[in-house]
Amino acid sequence: MVPALFFFRGISLRVHQRAGRWDDGRQEPKSAFRAVGEMGSSGLAGCSVVPACAPEGPGWLQRHLLSGEFDQLRNFTIFESNFVQVTRFGEVANKVTMGVAASSPALELPDLLLLAGPTKEDGCPQLLGLFPLQFVQLFIHDESRQQLKVKFCTGRAFYLQLRAPAETRALEFSKWVRLLYRLRFHGQGAVPFTQEEWGDEDWDEETDLEDQERDWRDQLQAREARLDPQTSELWGL
Amino acid sequence: MTYSYLFKYIIIGDTGVGKSCLLLQFTDKRFQPVHDLTIGVEFGARMVNIDGKQIKLQIWDTAGQESFRSITRSYYRGAAGALLVYDITRRETFNHLTSWLEDARQHSSSNMVIMLIGNKSDLESRRDVKREEGEAFAREHGLIFMETSAKTACNVEEAFINTAKEIYRKIQQGLFDVHNEANGIKIGPQQSISTSAGPGACQRNIRDTGSDSGCC
Ligand SMILES: Nc1nc2c(ncn2[C@@H]2O[C@H](COP(=O)(O)OP(=O)(O)OP(=O)(O)O)[C@@H](O)[C@H]2O)c(=O)[nH]1
Ligand SMILES: [Mg+2]
Repeated sequence: MVPALFFFRGISLRVHQRAGRWDDGRQEPKSAFRAVGEMGSSGLAGCSVVPACAPEGPGWLQRHLLSGEFDQLRNFTIFESNFVQVTRFGEVANKVTMGVAASSPALELPDLLLLAGPTKEDGCPQLLGLFPLQFVQLFIHDESRQQLKVKFCTGRAFYLQLRAPAETRALEFSKWVRLLYRLRFHGQGAVPFTQEEWGDEDWDEETDLEDQERDWRDQLQAREARLDPQTSELWGL
Repeated sequence: MTYSYLFKYIIIGDTGVGKSCLLLQFTDKRFQPVHDLTIGVEFGARMVNIDGKQIKLQIWDTAGQESFRSITRSYYRGAAGALLVYDITRRETFNHLTSWLEDARQHSSSNMVIMLIGNKSDLESRRDVKREEGEAFAREHGLIFMETSAKTACNVEEAFINTAKEIYRKIQQGLFDVHNEANGIKIGPQQSISTSAGPGACQRNIRDTGSDSGCC
């Protein structure tokens, strides 16, 4: 059984009951994180990172990969944002950076999802997982609060709320929305979708996996195209 | 944090054998009773001390399920160490070892140190693979062998650390070119080869990589 609140084994969900509810989308929650260091420049003493929300230039995750500990992932171009993990009802838990990357420049769309978070010890960036996007679904959970739902084909799901400066937050969220439309409807007409249209049971059967993998391979072949790296770099987001 | 070396490890083996649990026990000293299928790669990191040197283990816990395997295989490249895991209560996980080993050898450096792990040693009453069989397989294929329990933590530290000791020993013997990134070893920031261990450096603490502490 999948617990209702859940993220990663390595970083267990820490919900702080006293953290204020997120009733004002424009305000950052205060003192919600005890064990997890601030991800912004202020809280990362000793780590040379900048917040990923900087509109241009490499984000936190990209810089982490560029730092050289991950050879194979170093050359990925990543579209990423900072989030906080929230419960279904909006209570704040961990800080998470989520990004998508293409494992090959020949891909027209990203095929990998990357998750990272600050370590418990010193708040320095740590890559937590790398997941083929074919096994992950992204949904808009709450548009007004800029929340996404990330669901793995195994049934694991969690909710992420965008963290970005108020001025750029809406724009940044719209890029994620565009991305998840494109991932879902690439090559099809753009049909508006909501979470309800995707039964939660969609991926609960393990036997579906092979079918899905086959479907995906077909799609992938259709997708692959030699694109001008300039235009494909961030998938036109 | 500074370190002398960084070693990349991969953890491979059939689904459900306890790869993610071994990692979690090693990095967080926790046990997870629920099987959350890994769908890609999950990462863990921990510092260990080998012969007075700080070594960072960067661990890639891969998915064992067949549907995910073709993708995760590509991430074996550049690993210095591999934990190849089977479940002592499920013989089929032992029978599949040859195929995992072939995969690992095909997709990574020939110098990679491989530790064979018979996990779930706490379930002695349900044992389906004899310890001697694990030992024999390891001997035949040139692997280090241990039985572990991710549940009781028995031998978990030893499995990760003995693998690191063996890699370190190979570095000292000059068998690993630490400047070749394909070997899964990096020299830590602000370290140069002259200040880190080279051939002939002290080997006091490196011994008995194949034995375990006897708790299993
Ligand atoms: N009794 C016992 N159970 C264990 C042990 N290690 C793992 N388990 C259980 O075995 C199941 C699978 O463990 P995981 O670590 O998720 O398996 P995995 O190898 O990562 O599987 P995949 O991610 O699908 O490849 C879980 O229910 C664990 O609780 C152990 O040492 N003893
Ligand atoms: Mg796993």
